[in-house]
Amino acid sequence: MRALFLCYRGNPFCGGQGIYLYNLTKELAKLGVAIDVIVGPPYPDPLDEWATVYKLENLNMWAIKTKHFPYEKLIKLYTPWHFVDYCLTRFHIFPEMETFSMKAFFLLRKLLKTNHYDIIHDVQCLGWGLLPMKGYGIPIVSTVHHPLTKDREADFLVDNTVWEMACTILFYPLTMQRIVINRLDRVITSSKEGINALNEAFHLPPEKVSVVDNGMDVEFFRNNGNPRKENTLLFVGNTEDHKKGLRYLFDAMTMLPEHVTLTIVDDGPPKRLTAWGWITERGLEKRVTFTGKVDLPTLVHLYSTSTILVMASLYEGFGLPAAEAMACNTPVVVTSAGALPEVVGDCGVIVPPKDAVALKEGILKLINNKALREELGKKGRKRVEDNFAWPVAAKNTLAVYHDVIQSYRSRI
Amino acid sequence: MPRAKIYGYIAVIVAALLGCAFVYYAFIHYDMYASVHFDSIDTGAYWAVVLPIALVTLFVLATGFWVGYTILTIKVAPPMPEIIEKKDNSKFKAFLLCLVTIALAVWFVYGLYHHSYLAIAIPAACITLVILGMVFWVGIAIITTRSTLKNNK
Repeated sequence: MRALFLCYRGNPFCGGQGIYLYNLTKELAKLGVAIDVIVGPPYPDPLDEWATVYKLENLNMWAIKTKHFPYEKLIKLYTPWHFVDYCLTRFHIFPEMETFSMKAFFLLRKLLKTNHYDIIHDVQCLGWGLLPMKGYGIPIVSTVHHPLTKDREADFLVDNTVWEMACTILFYPLTMQRIVINRLDRVITSSKEGINALNEAFHLPPEKVSVVDNGMDVEFFRNNGNPRKENTLLFVGNTEDHKKGLRYLFDAMTMLPEHVTLTIVDDGPPKRLTAWGWITERGLEKRVTFTGKVDLPTLVHLYSTSTILVMASLYEGFGLPAAEAMACNTPVVVTSAGALPEVVGDCGVIVPPKDAVALKEGILKLINNKALREELGKKGRKRVEDNFAWPVAAKNTLAVYHDVIQSYRSRI
Repeated sequence: MPRAKIYGYIAVIVAALLGCAFVYYAFIHYDMYASVHFDSIDTGAYWAVVLPIALVTLFVLATGFWVGYTILTIKVAPPMPEIIEKKDNSKFKAFLLCLVTIALAVWFVYGLYHHSYLAIAIPAACITLVILGMVFWVGIAIITTRSTLKNNK
């Protein structure tokens, strides 16, 4: 079998799509699938050992004023697709998915002169370009961890003016995604909650959705044996993403004892100011620290030495930090939003979203009970090993491919 | 001078000349008040020219309406009381946006139906000048930005 992956952002250290692409293609290749990848920037770590990679250029112009463009980008702006990107971004539209998918379509036309593909696997792009690709008679599946409607809802929570709301509406290409997703052969999502979310967002029939649990590197994410620091909370995620519900976590911090501290694995000031603004409003400057971006060994160390991982999310398509923490025997306190209850199961404390008091109580329950923390840590590790290893995800994805190809061939 | 800068100068000059020429011939030189109708043009030829402009214009107006309608119908409950207070007049502004876009669309279609010159010329000018403006602005940026690249040998 030969599969073509499409991924508009491929860096394994910035966003779940890149991690997904890297690990899934690696494991699928071990199962005998020949892999080609069309990918946009930031480009992934070398996949050359198991895949052929075709890189598409994108200048990432959104939210950058023309006069602030670096010279090497400016001189490329008069090429047709970059100019389309430029024009659309000036109207606050985020065109990366549209233009990536169209460029991928034109590249596919060339590739098909020499290559044959049994399936095309789109990773969360759902761009217009997938529609003409259907004309080549290759079944197309797409992985969607959560619909962008969830991101938009979270942005609306903090938009104050009509202008900000209008910019949010223009930013998300929901109309395109609604049209495209209903014309694909199958959609893969990472939780049962995802089926409802996709149906609600795009009216996608549940029978077109397959659930494949996300994978993670369970060998790498393992407790490193260093002693845990008491009363230390850990948050891992993008502080600019309003879905993470950080404000509720900060509200909970104001109700927790002074000696409880929070470490945030993301950039703080001066690079990222949203969370810092909330911290200063609540007088938490001395209790919250930012690590900036960290490498994976450091991340494992942070998981292994923190008392609890906290996720105050308003929605999660999967909730990878919870699974990673569990893999490191670290107990978690998470909200019941999205797929988090499916990931955590009975191996953590689950509280309602948007409820700072419940979050505080959940944290205190674990802070004050070391035996419970250790028990949940052990159960968490076992749960992750059984359900969320990449080889398991690849095997299940391959089963979906076979099913899609079979039903596609039976239709024609 | 680097080749990109030369292209920048050419883009700026061409965009400025085309923009000026468009405005001059479409609105200044042409006596639109004396002859405001396309009645003498064959119907097929008229719609061949008008249809692309009409589609783009209606698409832009529909997008404006959709933005307003979406804001009007947002069901998300804001978490903070101060945000609820700030959002109060946003619904009113969104309603106005819907109203204005509908009015403009009706006016535009009415103009097309009566073969009005301005109904075509104004949207055509907006589309043309926006695109030329972007070409111009990118050209200016290329000319005025210091190169960070090594000399191209």
